[in-house]
Amino acid sequence: MATTTLQAGAGYRSGLYEWLTTTDHKKIGILYLANSILMFLLGGVFALLVRVELAQPGLQFLTDAQYNQAFTIHASLMLFLFVIPVLAGFGNYLTPLMIGAPDMAFPRINAFSFWLLPLGAIVMLAGFATGGGAAAAGWTEYSPLAQAKYEGIGTDLWIVALLLIGTSSILGSINFIVTIFKMRAPGMTLLRMPIMVWTMLVTSILVLMATPVLTSALIMLFIDRNLGGHFFDPATGGNAILWQNTFWFYSHPAVYIMVLPAMGIISEVLPVFSRKPVFGYKAFVFATAAIGALGFSVWAHHMFTTGAVYLPFFSFMTFLIAIPTGVKFFNWIATMFRGQLTFSTPLLYAIGFLTMFLIGGINGAFSAAVPVDFALHDTYWVVAHIHYVLFGGSVFAVFAGLYYWWPKMFGRMLNETLGKIQFVFMFIGFNLTFFPMHILGLSGMPRRIADYDPNAGWNDLNLLATIGGFTIAASILPFLWNVFITFRSGQPAGDDPWEGNTLEWATSSPPPPYNFDHLPEIRSERPVFDARHGTSHA
Amino acid sequence: MALQVSHDEPEGHDQEGISNVILGMVLFICSEVMFFAGLFAAYFNVRANAPIWPPEGNVHFHLADEIALPLIITTLLIISSFTCQLGVWSIRRGERNGLIRNIGVTLVLGIIFLIGQGYDYTQLGFTLADGTFGTTFFTLTGFHGAHVLGGVIMLSVVLYRAMAGQFSARHHDMVEAVSLYWHFVDVVWIVLFSLLYLVPTGH
Amino acid sequence: MSIPRPRLPRPARSLVALLGLALLVAGCAAFEPPAAVTAQGQDTRDLYDFVFVVAVAIFVLVEGLIIFAVVRYRRKPTDTELPPQIHGNSVLEILWTVIPTALVVILFVFSWNTLNQVDAVSPTPSLTVRAVAAQFQWQFDYLAADGQTVQFAQLSPELDLPVGVDVHVILRSKDVIHAFYVPKFLFKRDVVPGLENNFDFTIDPADANQTFRGQCAEFCGTFHSTMLFSVKALSPADFNTWLQTQIKSAAASPSAAAASGGAAAPGATTVALTAHNVAYDQASLDAPAGQPFVINFTNNDAGVSHNVQITDGTGQVVFKGEIFSGPGSRQYPVPALAAGTYTFACSVHPTMTGTLTVK
Repeated sequence: MATTTLQAGAGYRSGLYEWLTTTDHKKIGILYLANSILMFLLGGVFALLVRVELAQPGLQFLTDAQYNQAFTIHASLMLFLFVIPVLAGFGNYLTPLMIGAPDMAFPRINAFSFWLLPLGAIVMLAGFATGGGAAAAGWTEYSPLAQAKYEGIGTDLWIVALLLIGTSSILGSINFIVTIFKMRAPGMTLLRMPIMVWTMLVTSILVLMATPVLTSALIMLFIDRNLGGHFFDPATGGNAILWQNTFWFYSHPAVYIMVLPAMGIISEVLPVFSRKPVFGYKAFVFATAAIGALGFSVWAHHMFTTGAVYLPFFSFMTFLIAIPTGVKFFNWIATMFRGQLTFSTPLLYAIGFLTMFLIGGINGAFSAAVPVDFALHDTYWVVAHIHYVLFGGSVFAVFAGLYYWWPKMFGRMLNETLGKIQFVFMFIGFNLTFFPMHILGLSGMPRRIADYDPNAGWNDLNLLATIGGFTIAASILPFLWNVFITFRSGQPAGDDPWEGNTLEWATSSPPPPYNFDHLPEIRSERPVFDARHGTSHA
Repeated sequence: MALQVSHDEPEGHDQEGISNVILGMVLFICSEVMFFAGLFAAYFNVRANAPIWPPEGNVHFHLADEIALPLIITTLLIISSFTCQLGVWSIRRGERNGLIRNIGVTLVLGIIFLIGQGYDYTQLGFTLADGTFGTTFFTLTGFHGAHVLGGVIMLSVVLYRAMAGQFSARHHDMVEAVSLYWHFVDVVWIVLFSLLYLVPTGH
Repeated sequence: MSIPRPRLPRPARSLVALLGLALLVAGCAAFEPPAAVTAQGQDTRDLYDFVFVVAVAIFVLVEGLIIFAVVRYRRKPTDTELPPQIHGNSVLEILWTVIPTALVVILFVFSWNTLNQVDAVSPTPSLTVRAVAAQFQWQFDYLAADGQTVQFAQLSPELDLPVGVDVHVILRSKDVIHAFYVPKFLFKRDVVPGLENNFDFTIDPADANQTFRGQCAEFCGTFHSTMLFSVKALSPADFNTWLQTQIKSAAASPSAAAASGGAAAPGATTVALTAHNVAYDQASLDAPAGQPFVINFTNNDAGVSHNVQITDGTGQVVFKGEIFSGPGSRQYPVPALAAGTYTFACSVHPTMTGTLTVK
């Protein structure tokens, strides 16, 4: 089979120059993943700074100003330079492979999209080298606080960094959409595409329609700050709520940008490790599209307490968006039902995803009930919610994906024992950190405070959350060690170690340049399964 | 042994329908529409919140009174959309000279528009910092101007490649794509011009 | 199909079930917002309890299904044949679309209903207070019946309110966005510059003579976490006595009351205090009782922010001066204080502290 031709790609693994100039979607995908994981570690360091400071009342390690920079940069790194790009990295690596294409539609634009990201990271972090420090008004940069009279040049650098990252996203989304519509192999109809590809398609449409609005908002903020504009500061005739509307018009769909591909990963992992097809393929596709469409009509639920939005409409739409998510949940569970589950590391992370994302969905529903949101908004409840969605959800899916596709990317299996150790530590650490935050939020602890009243009853839970934070940090060590020993002496994977369903498992591990020597016949959403078992089961 | 890959040209995969380049440009224009939608939303917001529009205090805010030059460059920009399309039709028939001539005229008209707008800026009597009116006016027209500049650069590349004989009746996706972009820039200006100059008062 | 499946031994299963139940009960007990002290907060609390029951039911159902699948359908060595390749089931899928839809519609109707109660504003409130937020401090203006005239401006971050009557609060920001948040009201509302938000509430008469903590909930800059206030619930009679006293003493020194900008009353006692190297130059200050006075505060630490905040014996903040970065100075107009011993400290550096004797 395809494995024998691997050496033909002479110079495929040659050196730094190759990686810096590559336009191969697989290498670019790996660059995305590597850069994103680096940002994850860095963002984690800022998270630990925040947790260390909050472990006990009083300011022990950071000043107020440093604390504010730490949580602002933590969130900015994690959202814009980790979660979004890491999923784009999976998309980059997998989309052409999964649809039987040799590469993305625009390989050079693809490379350009990637290289904007490290540039954006450098610009954002350069804020720490300026006198006023990095951006410190929170990742939401609400105006007027984000205006020049309150915040220094770090905020300008943050704006420029987000413009770069946003441009990267927009170009990437165009690339994905054209690739998916124009580059599918013969027989790969839209309704035979893997769910992962569907989620990338819907995500790309969200990026394409939402990110430019953030770009316009950032440019207006920059004009306010540096050219004497009057968009967002009421003191000079502007409108503070206008910033929130334009910002959340992007940033709420962005939540789905950060979650849909993670759902796609889970929808690939669960069928393979259950030895069953995904339950209700079309329902998955429609639910994904519905989430994408509804995602544009709920942004103002971040603004219920502003007194400037029409509450019933946005409340109703927010409740409504729970339905397609619920459909997906039942489909995932039904995929496992009557299957034969193999508890390899990818499946563990997928089940972790189901459990944690379930909580993240349910605790979000509380805030859809507007009066309850009046109580919970801007408290630690919301911090718990966003982390159950984006860490318990997306990050667990990212690790499911890494363990699942690592053999394809590098031809070697990650160590299962270390993977399971990492999972246990991460699962426990995650819940230790973020579960107590529900209770902190209910008892009135606002987010983004550097210090709190020692008599408010928040001391123990904060200490617990900090211990949990370090447990998460500890869980990263077995992962890094795993990567190291796998590169040195990992067990060879073969083309298809998991008995996969989708086309990436029909080529060698790692795949050659341009991906395929030949393609199996595509008659369902599981061409490799069909080739393995004959089509009688399909 | 060499790889037996038949996909050496990425476009060779699924050739029905529009080409990758044109679809890519259509999507890019979608994102640009959303970008301008953000700016327009801000404009409508400040306009709706102002007690009267244009705000009092600066006679120059009444743009309808100084409409001669904007009207001329608007007309030129609209004409340039037609010349651009004539260029596209020429190359579809394989007429390279027609392409060069029409794109050349389009390019010149685009440059005249930019010069005209730049001159108009110096004559306006208010600046970006003059209240929400100045801020929205210069942001909207300025970013439109930046897009015209982008279009002029793209047209220059098309002209250069046309003169180098790189386009033919079968192979001219870039011409089609750039022409779509140029039409988009034109349409944005028609909306902007109508809003800023033709419906300038009231709410 | 009735192939025997490997199962946990019975005692282990009951243990797991018991442990799960214990965790659930413990979790539910901790999963409560504080008891609401306003009528509106109680409405919100009722809605919360309803949503919570639904949430727990959904969680138990879905999590139960996940755990069931994980336990029941593990692959056994004998599983060489593929399991049945089920692609879907229209009846089930319609069912689990329609039922959640009905559920969210019910949740929406309940929450909308509660929203109308919580958001209702009386045309004739018994008391109107304007909360004025500026970076890192609150001021509460007690307005006359016309809802405009300031009868008395409370400069210390303490909001005294009568119980059992309808209180109307208007929010105004002097700079950035803040949020008025009292956890025990189960309520917050943003204080947005350029926008006057307002809301009503009625404190439960049973909570008279209690004090509730309040805090800015919208991140508002460097010292956001110091932007605290307290709400003191008084019986209507006590409140009226208090308000009349305050109005009188404010009238006695009008400029001090209006002096949020920093102008001092002529002839008022002035006390000097300097901060240098993150320390005050004095450990004790004296001030006259029953009349406003002024602290001339100088901050000599370049780039470091300080202020002066005064707390009484019970830990209640009675005055909080503007936090500013040195070098610079401010005149803090302190309202009249009762005789006694107070603590003054820097909000930013709690180690900077001293004793204020009022006599």
